[in-house]
Amino acid sequence: MKAATWRGTDEVAVERVPDPTLLNSHDVILKVRQTVTCGSDLHLLGGYIPFMRAGDVLGHEFIGEVVEAGPAVANHRVGDRVVVCSFIACGKCWFCTHEMYSCCDNGNPDPGITEAVWGQSPGGCYGYSHALGGFQGSHADYIRVPYADIGAFPVPDGVSDRRALFASDSAPTGWMGADLSEVGPGDCVAVWGAGAVGQMAARASVLLGADKVIVIDRYGYRLDQVERHIGAETINYEQTDVEAELRERTGGRGPDVCIEAVGMEAHTPGGQYFYDQVKQQLRLQTDRPDAVRQAIQVCRKGGRVFILGVFAGMVDKFPLGAVMNKGLTIRSAQQHGQRYIPRILELMERDELRTEHLATHVMPLDRAPEGYRMFKEKEDGCVRAVFEPAG
Amino acid sequence: MALPKMLTRAAGAAADAGGVVLRRLQNARIPGAGMPPVHDDARRAVARWRVVTVLVSPDQVGVADDVPRPLADFRDRIEIRVTPAPGDKGTELAARFRGPASDDDIGELRSALRRAKQLLEVGEVLRVDPVSHGRREPTPQGELLEEAATQAPKGGVL
Ligand SMILES: NC(=O)c1ccc[n+]([C@@H]2O[C@H](COP(=O)([O-])OP(=O)(O)OC[C@H]3O[C@@H](n4cnc5c(N)ncnc54)[C@H](O)[C@@H]3O)[C@@H](O)[C@H]2O)c1
Ligand SMILES: [Zn+2]
Ligand SMILES: [Zn+2]
Repeated sequence: MKAATWRGTDEVAVERVPDPTLLNSHDVILKVRQTVTCGSDLHLLGGYIPFMRAGDVLGHEFIGEVVEAGPAVANHRVGDRVVVCSFIACGKCWFCTHEMYSCCDNGNPDPGITEAVWGQSPGGCYGYSHALGGFQGSHADYIRVPYADIGAFPVPDGVSDRRALFASDSAPTGWMGADLSEVGPGDCVAVWGAGAVGQMAARASVLLGADKVIVIDRYGYRLDQVERHIGAETINYEQTDVEAELRERTGGRGPDVCIEAVGMEAHTPGGQYFYDQVKQQLRLQTDRPDAVRQAIQVCRKGGRVFILGVFAGMVDKFPLGAVMNKGLTIRSAQQHGQRYIPRILELMERDELRTEHLATHVMPLDRAPEGYRMFKEKEDGCVRAVFEPAG
Repeated sequence: MALPKMLTRAAGAAADAGGVVLRRLQNARIPGAGMPPVHDDARRAVARWRVVTVLVSPDQVGVADDVPRPLADFRDRIEIRVTPAPGDKGTELAARFRGPASDDDIGELRSALRRAKQLLEVGEVLRVDPVSHGRREPTPQGELLEEAATQAPKGGVL
């Protein structure tokens, strides 16, 4: 079959690879209908997660049609249209039964690397390096989906591929950020990053009843989307002093909830960016955490900070004093999608959650290298590049 | 030492096996960054109980003739202990070597405990191989990573 693979830092290729096969009784094989780039892939492309092997198939957000099902699969039949959570979870361990699916004990059968680096291993993820299980990704004609009864969800007829695709990762990730930060009426929420993840966190905050939701980024076209499709306010951090603006818009208190949806390659105007980049290049710190620092600094006393952006290792200049003295609660997680996807599909069916606008560039899989370049460089108003293997 | 640098440096020594890389990763901390001041010496490491918590009740975990299959392979080289876990967490399944054991033996025991847990919780062991991937030039760093990934089921802190 055809697949888009990681070939090295900033290098994506389209090549032929063997078809996947059923390996466990609870697997299904999907014919991929649509698969989309994610900010998380940029960390792989940038070489910041050094466990990719040339030839590994990329992609972890996808929708497809079941073409083969293992004997233990109960909920899916050949022909079903399903959307799949990007994180692989068993549904049976203590973490899964407590809805912390991305922490599943049985989703990554090769936990040696992650245990060594983080002390404990999270679950597995499609197309996300040999650290997270070495599973093949979705930028291909076909993909194997383990624990299919737990991770794959039938898409209601009324919901288009283009909309349901985002129920795989960015929508549940954003929803989790708002839900686990206990966003509700009376809250002012600030979100760093107007990519798909940040937009979904902002939309979830609106739907959960927050009084004010403000999204921060520097790309005008992304902030326009926030105003038009998400129903939230915006701040362009290249034109405005973010901290002063947030204080003014929140009665001097600071936001009750700060959600970071930027990740380890955060950009900063000014000297700190240079400092962070040099340290990252020298591997003195592995990650650039500037949006997290800002979120902690501006958050109201006793407020909640949620880190949705992906980080891999060490950060520098972490404002621990502000965390401690302001009594902040910090939470984070890889997405527990299995917990949120059913509700997200319902909201999509009721037209309360719309995601089509995120798919700014739709192209055949052959053009994946170009799609990744546009997504990375934020060219031509790109928010997400979607690939259609059959296109 | 930071991880990417470790890998790059390790790539220089292509003879280095993946297991060694994994073991080094475990101690790859920036000095002062969360490193405990004391590490198990080899004898202590062999004698230590290695434990997984399994979400089943203690009576579902065999201890005699019916020990979980992956652990049965060790026969009387290991001792097995089964105790209830606190709260709603299920059962603690522990094993340790009775006599001397190599690093490889310890790796096998880690892997066996993980597989035993999966068999008890989900009924089968999740497979990832063979995984399809594209064309690969055999670079030293790639080989090393491949080997580290192959060793990963036996690696880690368990
Ligand atoms: N927790 C999870 O399970 C999960 C799931 C999916 C994605 N992610 C992570 O979420 C992050 C965002 O993903 P995405 O797909 O939306 O990526 P993206 O690259 O499309 O968007 C990131 C946005 O952050 C903006 N940004 C950069 N520096 C900033 C700063 N200092 N302040 C404010 N905004 C800044 C960029 O301009 C960009 O618009 C990534 O780190 C990704 O890995 C996490
Ligand atoms: Zn993603
Ligand atoms: Zn699980």
